[in-house]
Amino acid sequence: MANLKDIQRKIKSVSNTQKTTRAMKLVSTAKLRRAEELAKRSRLFAEKTNQVISEISSRVNCHKIGGIDSRYFETIEEPKMIDIIFVTADKGLCGGFNIQTIKAVKKLMAEYKDKKVKVRLRGIGKKGIEFFKFNGIELLDSSIGLSSAPDYDKASEFITSSIEDYNDGKIDGLYVIYNGYKNILTQELHVNKLLPVEVTTDCDEISDSLLEIEAEDQEKMLDSLVTKYVEYNMYYALIDSVAAEHSARMQAMDAATTNAKEMVKALKVKFNKARQEAITTELIEIISGVESMK
Amino acid sequence: MDTLNLEIITPNGLIFDGQVISVTLPGEEGEFGVLPRHATLATLLTAGVIDIEKEDKSIESIVVNWGLVQVDETKTVVLVDGAVAIHGGTENEIAQSLEEAKTLINGISDSNVAIAAVSARIESAAQRLL
Repeated sequence: MANLKDIQRKIKSVSNTQKTTRAMKLVSTAKLRRAEELAKRSRLFAEKTNQVISEISSRVNCHKIGGIDSRYFETIEEPKMIDIIFVTADKGLCGGFNIQTIKAVKKLMAEYKDKKVKVRLRGIGKKGIEFFKFNGIELLDSSIGLSSAPDYDKASEFITSSIEDYNDGKIDGLYVIYNGYKNILTQELHVNKLLPVEVTTDCDEISDSLLEIEAEDQEKMLDSLVTKYVEYNMYYALIDSVAAEHSARMQAMDAATTNAKEMVKALKVKFNKARQEAITTELIEIISGVESMK
Repeated sequence: MDTLNLEIITPNGLIFDGQVISVTLPGEEGEFGVLPRHATLATLLTAGVIDIEKEDKSIESIVVNWGLVQVDETKTVVLVDGAVAIHGGTENEIAQSLEEAKTLINGISDSNVAIAAVSARIESAAQRLL
């Protein structure tokens, strides 16, 4: 019976797929652990930088007439052009991980387009880049490979041109959109506004620490610090995104393995039924043959 | 003996955390040392070498390319961008970390004078280990 052979072949192919998905899950689990560890260690730097930035900026803001001179801290009332940097994975097979980021990018773009603000897109990660290329949306800049192997130097290199453009007044805002790691089961979408840096203007709340810095030094320090802050945030987006990618893939592959298992089960039942049917037909044929001989 | 708590943090994590007797930092306006109960201050660091005198009086040197330091009476926090520790048991290991430190410095500065000055500091730090 051809039918039996077909089912058998199908069972074999599904269980092969199952093997692949299970292996992919294991690989992602291992990679996730590493990425998670990296992100955890790195978070400390973020905490300290943010703390120092907010401390110094609020001090300058409150003690100096007219606030901080730096463009990094200006609130721009009518932005003309902004940069959006998005981070997606280089590979697929991780559920809705990439599409979530892409949707958020499109939403933010639409919001700014409504306000008649020009948007420049810069992409990291093959999947997102391919999506926008396919849809005919132009990307200013793109980088493949960075999202699967984050590197501080490369990340800062990538974002530097945006920082420079911001300084030159070409753009009035900088966003980074990525899907970050929340816990092993959930990813969290981040839409981070990196520039301009928002500072607390509430002067009463400043902790009265004994921080002694000369006024002119403060602003120099801030400038230097903000650049690092932006660069670092770019890097952190990358490592957070890697962790999230692996957790998303782990889940997707787990679901795929379970589905394959169920499919094999259903196919086996079908196979047994078909075999029984064949046996029964054969028996009937023999019996009716014997009957007709009588 | 009086000690202060020193933390050195890079984007890749904490690289030094412990009680130290003193620490010498490459400040923007020149090198400065920090002892326990130092007055609070915050300043930028340039490329250079951080010398840490540990509780057992041994000195550890870490080469950095940029940094920001926050000192208060009991604690010193250093935020750095890239850092290479000069250490190793054998001559070979020391030579290797020396090489890494030099590439780090060469990567950030254009001025040859600055590179030479820092390189000299690195060399002398390595000399001490031998």
